[in-house]
Amino acid sequence: MAQLAASDSSGFDTTLRPIPARTQLLAVAWLRWRVFMNNFRRPRSSKNQAVGLVLTILLRLFLWPIMAMWVIGPAVACGYFGWMAIDGHHPDGLLTLLAGIAAFWQFLSINGVSVAATVSSFDPSTLVRFPLPFGRYLVLRTLLGLLTASTIVGCLCLLATTIGVGIADSSLALPALVVLAVYALMNIFFARMVAAWAERWLATRRAREIFGVLMAFFVIGVQYFNLGRAPRHSSAVTGSWLLDMLHISARVLSWLPPGYAANAILLRGQLLNQLGQFVALLVTTGLFLAIFAIRLHKQFLGEYLSEGAARSAPVAPAQRQKQSSPQPVAIARPVASAPAIGLVSPTVAACLRKEWLYLRGNGNQLIGLLTPLVFVLILSRGLFTEHPNYLLPGALGYALFASLAGLYNVFGADGAGMQLYLLAPVRLRDVVLAKNLMSLTVIFVQVVLAWSLVMWIAKSPIPASSQVSSALWILFVIAANLTLGTVRSIQAPRKFVPGQTRQMRTPTNRTSGLLVLAMLFGSVLLQVPVAYVCHHFHQPWLAAAIFAPLAAAGVGAYAFLLHNSEKLLLSYRDLISEELCRT
Amino acid sequence: MNPAIDTTALTRRFGDFTAVQDVNLSVAAGQFFGFLGPNGAGKSTTIKMLTGLLAPTSGSIRILGQDLAANSAEVKRQIGVVPEGMALFGRLTATEYLRFVGRMYGLDQATTLQRTQELLEFMGLADEQKKLITDFSHGMQKKLALAAAVIHGPKVLFLDEPFEGVDAVAAGTLKAMLQGMISRGATIFLTSHVLEIVERLCTHIAIIHRGQLVAQGSLEELRAGVARAAPPPRPGEAAASPANLTLEEIFLEVVGTDRAGNLAASPPEQELSWLS
Repeated sequence: MAQLAASDSSGFDTTLRPIPARTQLLAVAWLRWRVFMNNFRRPRSSKNQAVGLVLTILLRLFLWPIMAMWVIGPAVACGYFGWMAIDGHHPDGLLTLLAGIAAFWQFLSINGVSVAATVSSFDPSTLVRFPLPFGRYLVLRTLLGLLTASTIVGCLCLLATTIGVGIADSSLALPALVVLAVYALMNIFFARMVAAWAERWLATRRAREIFGVLMAFFVIGVQYFNLGRAPRHSSAVTGSWLLDMLHISARVLSWLPPGYAANAILLRGQLLNQLGQFVALLVTTGLFLAIFAIRLHKQFLGEYLSEGAARSAPVAPAQRQKQSSPQPVAIARPVASAPAIGLVSPTVAACLRKEWLYLRGNGNQLIGLLTPLVFVLILSRGLFTEHPNYLLPGALGYALFASLAGLYNVFGADGAGMQLYLLAPVRLRDVVLAKNLMSLTVIFVQVVLAWSLVMWIAKSPIPASSQVSSALWILFVIAANLTLGTVRSIQAPRKFVPGQTRQMRTPTNRTSGLLVLAMLFGSVLLQVPVAYVCHHFHQPWLAAAIFAPLAAAGVGAYAFLLHNSEKLLLSYRDLISEELCRT
Repeated sequence: MNPAIDTTALTRRFGDFTAVQDVNLSVAAGQFFGFLGPNGAGKSTTIKMLTGLLAPTSGSIRILGQDLAANSAEVKRQIGVVPEGMALFGRLTATEYLRFVGRMYGLDQATTLQRTQELLEFMGLADEQKKLITDFSHGMQKKLALAAAVIHGPKVLFLDEPFEGVDAVAAGTLKAMLQGMISRGATIFLTSHVLEIVERLCTHIAIIHRGQLVAQGSLEELRAGVARAAPPPRPGEAAASPANLTLEEIFLEVVGTDRAGNLAASPPEQELSWLS
């Protein structure tokens, strides 16, 4: 099998020809393609393959137009503003537009929404084990990051801007094409540089938690500033303040890449100055590439980015206490027959304690649950201020989004630990109940906080009828999501490690992720017309009358599911073990 | 002839913790080399450094006479690795994965396809060509990782626990394949906790303990060393023959004692007395 060719005295084969770059680049492209295609394959053991496939297709048909709007909308707007900046003689407009595109690009990049379905199953850093020279590795890593939402949206926006500028003044079309192509590269390298260094700095769990806290403070600070500064009644004052800000930022931006790019397009007749701005843009792009390459080179040489080694540090053997006399043998009692502690059984109490330890040990998750409440403040001060009928349900729905999504994969974080539940002499219904109780406790705290915030912020008192209908609506939403989420947790679990950035983005099965989105949109679609009809016909209590039976049905469905959860879990134990316990 | 693997003062630290300290290894070409140590001793860290997956804090590594840091691409091309986590791409089939690996190592299309088919048949995976790797059992994944490690005909093969989870029939086939590679001049560097396998396959052995190399040599040399270090027999007792020492006895003798001279491997008498 191993054919040994001609070699030197040390056995090193000196006759091997270098591997062509094309071979390796094509191999990686082919790998990426196969991974992408194989993502459409359904799990072999799924009982409801056909149903799952149809559901996935329907959900995608519903969501893809919404996602397309995120691409087409900004592109059309950029084309229009690019045209307007030139045709309307607003040179600062192009600068602001390019800065806006860069900000949007980086925002999407940080959020890491990937169009390619391959992100969760292909880690490009594993390519270091192959015989690649560093330059080729750098090219591969750069190319592999191109198929992301940020790059696609950003490039389309810049292309639309080029077209808009070209339509307004055809002599600017070519310079705009060249300059904005470099500007696109600058954005790509900047995003990759930030991602690579963020990975380095956030390699340990503690660093991620500190970063999470800082980000939360930043977001809260920005919103505090926004709420404190934004005048609420005078549009003239608002316009003046906004214009001042734009004026100041335009001066700053002219010394940054958006300024270089805008000037390199607009400074016609000043060839030297125009070239200087273009060179400045090229140098900045090269600088970002160099900083990205430095980080990547460390990875290429075998940098270790984990706290794992520290954890595996040998610990001095504990002093064993010598027992003077043998202790009587303790007889273990079956857990199921032990007396209940407080309101819940020992199993539920033990599981609740474990869930609490998980939650407490994951600072980012806690922050993630509280951060939406800050946005509730904005929501309360913005569009819905004048509409108390929509204010409360809107705020509740927004605040609970992340928590409700978490209901769809309650066993995912347990991983192989799930086997303990299947092996231990416990009722699996108790395990499900404990997990749901912990989720409900978190949701309850969020509801109380969001509700209190809304009551505090609302300009006029929220009518009792609106409060009651909102309470019944949210009860229905929680019960429906809890029921469906528990079913999906059992039927389509997905293993994930809390705190790992790559997996934080997709903690649930993809179909479950789409399902939770559909459920939330569906809930909102249900709430809005009902509230409108009540308002239109002056029947404030009609909404409560509509939501009360729905809430009762939701709670009933959950109770029924909980009653049958043992049977359901056991019937899916093979799938659960296969998905969660694999190495 | 230069050694196939040669390290000088190889050290790796993680913060305050030193995982591997001043390791000087020398593995001659054509040797089947066993690298042993208790859990957390530094075996996997050493293998990662030897294969270029982890940078040493200090020290140097030469593989087939080439400096690994200076010629990593050239060296990687002539070594094969089954790493600790196997490094498979779960969303590919076995055929797709081997095709990818073959192309990455510079094999032409025809050779890649031919070797892929041969290896899948050899490993008993030919009937599983439509299954995704993620749906493979642990043993099947191990066999596939080994197939990927040898598809390009490496001169040095690094194996981290290659037989873990592999059934007895497949293990026998794999051992035969590895011995065939040795007979054709390849060098194999193997770690395993199954000392019987190491004893049967390896001609030379090194033992690492708490990050430091505590023994290195042929099996006979290790036996002789342990026998020399053993206390003299009491009057009336026959001296133990070094030839009868098993690798397990050598291993326990070398690493099974703590600094105070107590046997760390022997269980305390009073503990867990409630176990029936």
